[in-house]
Order: sequence, then structure tokens, then C-alpha cells
Amino acid sequence: MSSLRRYFAVRSVQTVMMLALVMTALFVLFRSMPGDFTAQMAASGANEEALQAIREQWHLDEPLYMQYYHYLANLVQGNLGESPVYRVDVWEFTKLRIFNTFILVAPAMTFTYVIGVAIGTVAGSNRGSAFERFGTVPIIGVGSSPAFFTAILLVIVFAVWLNLFPTSGMTSPGSTEGLAWWEPYLTRDFAAHYVLPFTAVVCRYLFIPTLIMRNSVVEVMGEDFTEYYRLTGLPTLTRLRHIAKHASIPVLTIYPVSLARALGGLVLIETVFNWPGIGFTLVEAVLARDYPTVQFVFFVVAAFVIVSNFVVDLVYGVIDPRIRLEG
Amino acid sequence: MDIAKKVSDNALVRAISDQSRVKNVGDNYIVRNLWGGIRSMVNDRMTAFYFGILVTILLMGVFGPMLAPYGVEEIHFDPQTGQMLRAEPPSLAHPLGTTFNGYDVLTRLLIGARPTVLTGIIGGGMILSIGTAIGVTAGYVGGRTETLLMRFTDFVYGVPLIPFGIVLITFLGVGFIPSIMVIGLILWRGAARVIRAQTLKVKQYPFVQVAKASGASTPHIIFKHILPNVAPMAVFFLSLGVGYAIMLQASLTFLGVADPFIPSWGVMIRNAFNSGYMSTAWWWSAPPGLLIAITVLATFMFGRGYEGGDSETANNAIAA
Repeated sequence: MSSLRRYFAVRSVQTVMMLALVMTALFVLFRSMPGDFTAQMAASGANEEALQAIREQWHLDEPLYMQYYHYLANLVQGNLGESPVYRVDVWEFTKLRIFNTFILVAPAMTFTYVIGVAIGTVAGSNRGSAFERFGTVPIIGVGSSPAFFTAILLVIVFAVWLNLFPTSGMTSPGSTEGLAWWEPYLTRDFAAHYVLPFTAVVCRYLFIPTLIMRNSVVEVMGEDFTEYYRLTGLPTLTRLRHIAKHASIPVLTIYPVSLARALGGLVLIETVFNWPGIGFTLVEAVLARDYPTVQFVFFVVAAFVIVSNFVVDLVYGVIDPRIRLEG
Repeated sequence: MDIAKKVSDNALVRAISDQSRVKNVGDNYIVRNLWGGIRSMVNDRMTAFYFGILVTILLMGVFGPMLAPYGVEEIHFDPQTGQMLRAEPPSLAHPLGTTFNGYDVLTRLLIGARPTVLTGIIGGGMILSIGTAIGVTAGYVGGRTETLLMRFTDFVYGVPLIPFGIVLITFLGVGFIPSIMVIGLILWRGAARVIRAQTLKVKQYPFVQVAKASGASTPHIIFKHILPNVAPMAVFFLSLGVGYAIMLQASLTFLGVADPFIPSWGVMIRNAFNSGYMSTAWWWSAPPGLLIAITVLATFMFGRGYEGGDSETANNAIAA
């Protein structure tokens, strides 16, 4: 087997194992909650019928290993049960929210990376300049403030004082009636609601690619071939492009990690903006003790992180042959 | 030359007399190297500046509640009209204005410093101790232990903190201490990775090999040789850990899974947000938020002053 294929095989097995581990961890966590799985739900006012449905769905009256088996079987088949709070199938009402989250986080983080890599390259290649020493401080400063605080400030300044954008929500109330599920995303109303949460994500995470790119560029600038490029008289921009190519590997590695961080931070941003995404759903579900929903949403977040790690590893294996050999 | 002085200068004699001397905390290798780490950071002017900020915040945590001009639950009324001072802008009597409930913002800010500092110390301490324990054990013991510990670290590394923190808190019970513990139980991951790498490096140094060859026990080598040499890096992660713990505890508080009756800065922002007076009473929500941001920024910049960090250390720290 070629080394690349072997590498892919090893990584695939590892990924599947990680997913299984997450499922098991969730199972252990929720079954070791004080009292029955349903006891706390009953305490917060779920009715007997809903509880009975949950007991049947997750086979809670059987021994633990059978529960585990049914739990895995349910999850793998996509049979997620009914939310005791919303009284609908968990998948039915989470699917759009998953989409809402990704439509916010994916473009925002990609934009963050593009900007961050550019700033980091400029800062790293002008080491010791005023820009390098002080220009990154505001970026780190914004990144150091809690995500919800940045979001609140954005709302105060741009929504309330300047009245440029709506304060919260994803669309104006009542504007989506009679539209197909994808139509609201194409309206101007949606775009106006989109700007502030997008900015909040960018502000919060810009420091990650910026600092990593800066460090990486500084490192690559110290290597012999950059000196050679300089001696051959390549134009600055061309030279920077070559350097950036080498220096971007650590940034690429950290991309899925920072996506995971962003998904976590999104819980806060979605709460401030009332954005109907999975972070917002998770907090709501935890506070309402809606465990089937918590279980599934958390699994989605974890699975997303694991799978994106896997994808980056594959890309990485193709562009950098040294990695494969390590296995 | 005085023979007695010559003898006392002899390294071997000094080492022997070191053994017999009364143990002093400052003489401990670990403490000495930790102190060395701090000193090398403070030598840089920028780093010293951020260190100054951290000390100020710490002093605020210690003395803040004593300096507070009013009581924490004291409701203020207008002396003329007798009406409650509801979200009043800053004035002489209330330099930072009042909250929606008629509390003095400055008072709550000073009192809130203590839980915030406490969060940093407990959270940072947990991150440091768990991270160092796992990193050093994995790095020094090696073999299957290392594989197991590091795979576990990789697993935790992929866990999104706030969602997982919320789920863990529902398990531990909502409260102030659980909200800090959850952070400590997750955020050790960056420290563990880097300290393991550092341990692997130190393990190869001749003095460790010599100690091993002369029959020193594993705990002896770890405490006497490994820990002192990873201590400067530990300072770096302690500093970062303090910052992250404060920031994330405020975030968890904001989401309502920490104790809302402990008046930390996070609770202030949450109250301001929930009152609906957030945008008019900016003097209420902005100061605690800015203070958190400044504290976290200071811990981060202070940690960056640590010169021994290579890019891998930095990357692990940035994406902690």
C-alpha cells in the first residue's frame, strides 16, 4: 500500500474511533446524571406522556448495556426522538438551526483567516516595525474581551446609537411567512441582520490566524531560502507570496481547531443576537433540561470538529509529504 | 589566601552544606526557576507594564471590597425627590453612575474584582497543575502511558469549551465554583501538550541521564530535575490560564449557568444585558467588560514576554 493510502486509512479509523468515543462519553455523561434520565425533566414540568415516549425511545427500563446498544442504534439510524419541550422530532427543528449556524460561522471564519493571514504576513515580514509591535495589540485586545461583550458593544454602537442595523434576530418578525425555507436567506433583511454577528465573530477570532501567521512568517524569514530569494532580486510581493506559502502550514493546521473554538464562542454571540443557531438552541435546551436535544446538538458540534480535523489532515497529507511518513 | 574560604567555595562542599541547611522556600529549585522566569519577563519594559496591570487587578481583588464607597446591595435614592436612582448617568456621588436597581456601579465593580481574581487564581492553578501533571508524566514515563495520556489530550483538544462546559455544569450543578472547575477540567490541554514536549527535551539532558544512571528514583528525577526545568514554561501557561479562566467564567456567567448572586464582573454584564438598559446605561456594562478585556490582554501579553517559547508553544497557547 502506498504511504498516502496507508495514512488515509489510519486517519479514517482514528476518526471513526473518535466519533464512537464522543458518543460513549455523551452516553456516560447523561446516564450518570443524578436520578433517572427523565427525573429532571419531570421536575421541570414535562408531562407523563412525553416522558413515557422518551423511556421507550431510549429503552431506559432495560439494563445499561442494552441502553447503550439502543442509544448507538438510534443515533446511527438518525432516530433522535422527540424533544419534550418543543414536542417535535429533534431533527425536525434542529436541522434549520444547524444550517443557520454554519451560514454564519463558515463565511465569517474564512474571512477571518483571509484577513488574519494578510495582517500576519505584513507584521511578520516587518519584524520590529511599529506596526508589528503595536498594530497587533488592538487585535489581541478585541480577542481578549469575552465574545458576548464585543457583541454587546457592537449592538450598542451600530444598532442603537447609529441605528444602522437591527439589534437582534435573523429576519424581521413576520417577514418570512409563506416563503420556502431558503428564500429568507436571499433577502436584504437577512443581510442587514447578518452584518453584526458576522463582525462579532471576525473581531473575536482575528487574533488566532494573525498571531500564528506572524510567528510562522518570522520563522520562515529566518531560513536560508528566503535570503536567497532576496539576493536574486525577486520583487517584494512575489517573495512574500513564496514565504506565505511555506508559512501557511501551521495556520492551516489550526483552522479546524479554531473552527471548534468559534463554534463554542458562537454560543455567546448567538445568545446576544438571538440568532436561531445551534449554540442558542443548546443553551435553551440545557436550561429547559431538554436532554434529547442537548445530546444531539452536542454530538453535531463534536462531530463537526472531528470531521473537519480529518479533512484538514487529508489535505495536509497531500500537500506536505513529510506528514504521511509519520503516520 | 584564606584556606577556609577556599574550602567553602568548593562546589562539592557547598552542595553538602546546602543539604544540611535549614530548608528555605526561596532555595527550592522549582521556586527559584519560577522566580527566574518571572524576572526575565519583567526585564522587558512592555512585559513589566502588563505585569503592573496584573498586580493592580490583584490588589483590586484584595482591597477592592474595603475601598467600595457603598454597600453592595445598597439602593440609592435621590435626596430631593426621594425617587430611586434608576440607571443614572455618572455624577459626583456616583462616579460611574447607578444600575437599573439603584446600585452604585463603582461599588459593584470594586466588589466584583474579588470573585474575578479568585476565578483567575483557581482556574489558572487548575490548568497549570493538571497540565503539568499530565505533560510531565506523559513525557517522562513514555510508552503506553504516554500514548494513552496524549490521545486523551487530543480528544479534549477537540472539545468545544463552552458547549461542553454547559453540559458538564448541568452535571456538576450550577454554581460559582463548578463554573470555574469546568474551565480547569478542560483548558489544561494546551499546557499538557507543550510541557510534554519540553519534558522530552529535558529528559535528554546529560544531568538527567546521570541522575538516572546513578540510581535516582523516578519521583526524585521528576521533582528535582524535570520540574525546575519546565517551570518557566509553566509560568507562561499559568499566566494564560488565569486570563482564559476569567474570560470563560464570565462567558458561562453570561449564559446563566454560574451563580448570579456572586457579583463578579461577568454577572454585572449579564444583569445589564437582561435589564434592557444596556444601550442607554453604557456606564453600567462597559466598565466590567473593559476590565475583563484588559486583564485578559495583560495575562496574554505578559505570557508572550516569555522568550523561550518556540512557535509550537505559541500556537498551542493561542488556540487554547
